[in-house]
Amino acid sequence: MKNCYEPIPMHINRIVVETTDSTLKSFELTFDHEEDCRKFFASYNPGQFSQLSIFGKGEAPFGIASAAWEGDFVRFTVQKLGKFTSAIHSMHVGDRIGMRGPLGNGFPIDEWLGMNILVIGGGCAFSTLYAMTKHMLHPSNRGNYAEITALYGTRNSGLCLYKPVIEEWHIRDDIVIHQAIDVQEENWNYHVGYVPAVLEELSPKPDNTVAVVCGPPVMTKFTLPILTKLGFPDERVYTSLEKRMKCGVGHCGRCNIGHKYVCKDGPVFTLSELHELPNEI
Amino acid sequence: MSIKWLSNQDYEKLLSGLIREYSLYAPCRSEKELGFRLVEEISQIAIEDSGNTRFPPKSLFFPQSEVLMKYNGILHSVEKEEKRKILFGVRPCDARAMKLLDHAFNDEKAPDEYWQSKRDSAIVISYACIAPGGTCFCTMVGGSPFGTVGSDAQFVKLEDGFVIRIYSEQAEKLFTDLPDAQKKMTQAANDLFDQVINGMPAMVEKQQVHDKLLSLFESDFWREISESCLGCGVCTFLCPTCFCFDIVDETLRKERVRNWDSCMFRIYSLEASGHNPRPTKSERTRQRVMHKYAYWVDQINEIGCTGCGRCVEFCPVNIDIREIVEKALHWEMIGGAK
Amino acid sequence: MENPRIQKIRAEAQKLLIEEKVDVVIGFKKGSLPSKMQPFFASSVEEIEQLELNGLCSNNLAVYLNHRSKGERVAIICRGCESRAIQTLVLENRHARENLTLIGIPCIGILDIHKIEQKLQGSISSITEEEGQVVVVSGGREHRFDRLDLLHDACLHCEHPTPVNVDIMIDEAGWIPENSFDKSYCQAFRLLNIAQRYEKFSHETERCIRCYACREACPMCYCEECFVDHSRPQWIESTVEQAGQQAWHIIRAFHQTGRCVSCGACERACPLEIKMTYLTDLLNQDMERDYGFEVGMLPDQLPPFATLSETEEQFFHQQDGDHVH
Repeated sequence: MKNCYEPIPMHINRIVVETTDSTLKSFELTFDHEEDCRKFFASYNPGQFSQLSIFGKGEAPFGIASAAWEGDFVRFTVQKLGKFTSAIHSMHVGDRIGMRGPLGNGFPIDEWLGMNILVIGGGCAFSTLYAMTKHMLHPSNRGNYAEITALYGTRNSGLCLYKPVIEEWHIRDDIVIHQAIDVQEENWNYHVGYVPAVLEELSPKPDNTVAVVCGPPVMTKFTLPILTKLGFPDERVYTSLEKRMKCGVGHCGRCNIGHKYVCKDGPVFTLSELHELPNEI
Repeated sequence: MSIKWLSNQDYEKLLSGLIREYSLYAPCRSEKELGFRLVEEISQIAIEDSGNTRFPPKSLFFPQSEVLMKYNGILHSVEKEEKRKILFGVRPCDARAMKLLDHAFNDEKAPDEYWQSKRDSAIVISYACIAPGGTCFCTMVGGSPFGTVGSDAQFVKLEDGFVIRIYSEQAEKLFTDLPDAQKKMTQAANDLFDQVINGMPAMVEKQQVHDKLLSLFESDFWREISESCLGCGVCTFLCPTCFCFDIVDETLRKERVRNWDSCMFRIYSLEASGHNPRPTKSERTRQRVMHKYAYWVDQINEIGCTGCGRCVEFCPVNIDIREIVEKALHWEMIGGAK
Repeated sequence: MENPRIQKIRAEAQKLLIEEKVDVVIGFKKGSLPSKMQPFFASSVEEIEQLELNGLCSNNLAVYLNHRSKGERVAIICRGCESRAIQTLVLENRHARENLTLIGIPCIGILDIHKIEQKLQGSISSITEEEGQVVVVSGGREHRFDRLDLLHDACLHCEHPTPVNVDIMIDEAGWIPENSFDKSYCQAFRLLNIAQRYEKFSHETERCIRCYACREACPMCYCEECFVDHSRPQWIESTVEQAGQQAWHIIRAFHQTGRCVSCGACERACPLEIKMTYLTDLLNQDMERDYGFEVGMLPDQLPPFATLSETEEQFFHQQDGDHVH
């Protein structure tokens, strides 16, 4: 059986600089071995993450930002913050990189058939919501879901990820997207304000709707109560948590909240599950 | 399960045979401490009536630093197969701990082969505790000085020899030449147990402890009991059930290594953004105590502490986890529970 | 002989709380084992009754100043080393002296529990200190020892058991007069050649498990992020290998130069009984010789490595036997 700590060999196929300040880049990785590719997509579900590995630099977890139908590659959006992420940022197309995944539980999109989907994302945590939304918007999947509404907030317009696709979403008729930035800018035609405030303004209906929230801890902390206020029941509010991780498979003990491991039992949890866990986000 | 008898006269012959055929690890004395070492000769074995090794034998299956893989050019995983081992003279608390750790490392989706391959190739022979020490409290957490969880076989020391209780096939093979224990010997072992268990602390009710600790999660209780904690890692590094580890790349030797880590260190849960869900010793002590006495109960309905007492003996400021549990059970909530 | 000392300490501490001059009194109380005492934080007059002080009080209480909130008014029971550590922390601007009330008591020396255990077979039932002697009950029998035979090595090399610059001095005579001991033991190390010195150093450090009990027990190790935790750059490996163990100990010793008060709390906290104070004692001897500086003795003498002035004369003397080629 495969060693759970051994990374799968990959290569960088494409790099996209996502933000105007270059702190965020997306890396599209392809598999060195066909077999690994097949195994990956056989179990991949949006909302899952992988551990990216560079020998000599270490490993870190990143949400998977691509849908399976996009091709035989896996996209990760990486923010340059520390030693490891700086190392990735300095890599080029064609460089080798390791990956362990898919890990975690992912969004239970099969349980949401026929429902409205409300996607709420902030900053660079939008990556897995992006993957999920892309998956749902594909013609073969779109019919499974009712209305899809997205609210995506970033500090400024330059930090918005996946700009070409987001712009396209504004035009499509099978998704309604609301974008928000913190402070008004010239030529900005969308919302201005923090995500929780904009959400309250938009006041989406909770009927037959699932809300999925991914953002920095401070955004999530203030968004979840708004959803409750708007009438969303706890079991229909989902969030994806982040934690410092090392093994990613529930062995090293580090990423626990109460008796659950964010890497193994999560990272996706419902609000009702979170209420049963100690407050340790 | 069979029960055999090993007389004092036959002890040397049996042990020497085992030392020859297997890699036998037993408590041996070094300059400063008692520790599990590979035994070359029977006189090295130093199992006394009382007292335990400083480091738990889990280090033989889960060493403090372990190379997971080398990556100089070609990636290769380290050889995981090991020669047949016998762990001899393991205390019941440490044997039970290894069974608990099986839960942490075994997983259908991602089994930890480094742990498992070593476990599979080892036979655990425990020694019943006939003189539990002042820091021993296995009975408080659901164990016993004659406990057999995690043991393939157990030696009970009587005046003229040992009653050997055998629980697994692989242990059975080691003692085939020995005679069955006579009734009066097994009776003597049972009598000894009754004597030993008499002075030991009462068991806490695990669900009660679990519930009370959870209700105290947001309270001042943790700030008070962690006031004297220094924030070092002694308790976690000497604990037989602690398993947290870090994975690092050692660039000079081109190895990816895993090392023991501790939830008591500040950077343990520090995130890249700078956010730390456990910013002070209060939260970190809470994590440690609740992991052992509440989260393990949630996961497998057992307390994750085996009462070996090492943390009590070696904590530089005498933080006593028995006192913490006791205090928790009697803590009055001001302003109501969560 | 103990009682008058403790009663006076308790009386002074209670007075401070009643007069609302302090928020908390830091001292020791009885531990959960016969061989242990626990650091204790008393904030009420009733709690003061639990304060105790004896030879089993093995921690340097000054370390807790680094854990308390800045504005808190703290009283600490200080022996020699605690007072010198606090003096150094104040000089390094870690704490405001006006928030501290130091209750000083001359030290009777701290017992080394391992020295006691080595002399016995069974476990310890009780330890009682009498004048000049220690009575240990173990295995049902009473054993009497000379106190000096059981003192921790750091105490056997301690030049200043009497606390300095305290606000209240408990005037019971300490059993260890000033300058009863000295650091002449360092000379033996200076006479060793490089290979022999390395032998001793590596022999001690090879047991290290990087638990950092030494660091956390030390009042002078208060860095929010220790150099071992840095990843950019990664100074030393975290894997338990000789190189990392040695780097940890030697670098920490150098960081303590002119700051370590030789209390030995690090050695007593270490679960593997590693010796460390010999390194800082050697380094501090150099500080005395080259800069006339003795750690923690004067309230207005800044540590040489923490000061820089234009008129400073850069010098250090090279003495025979110091550097062996």
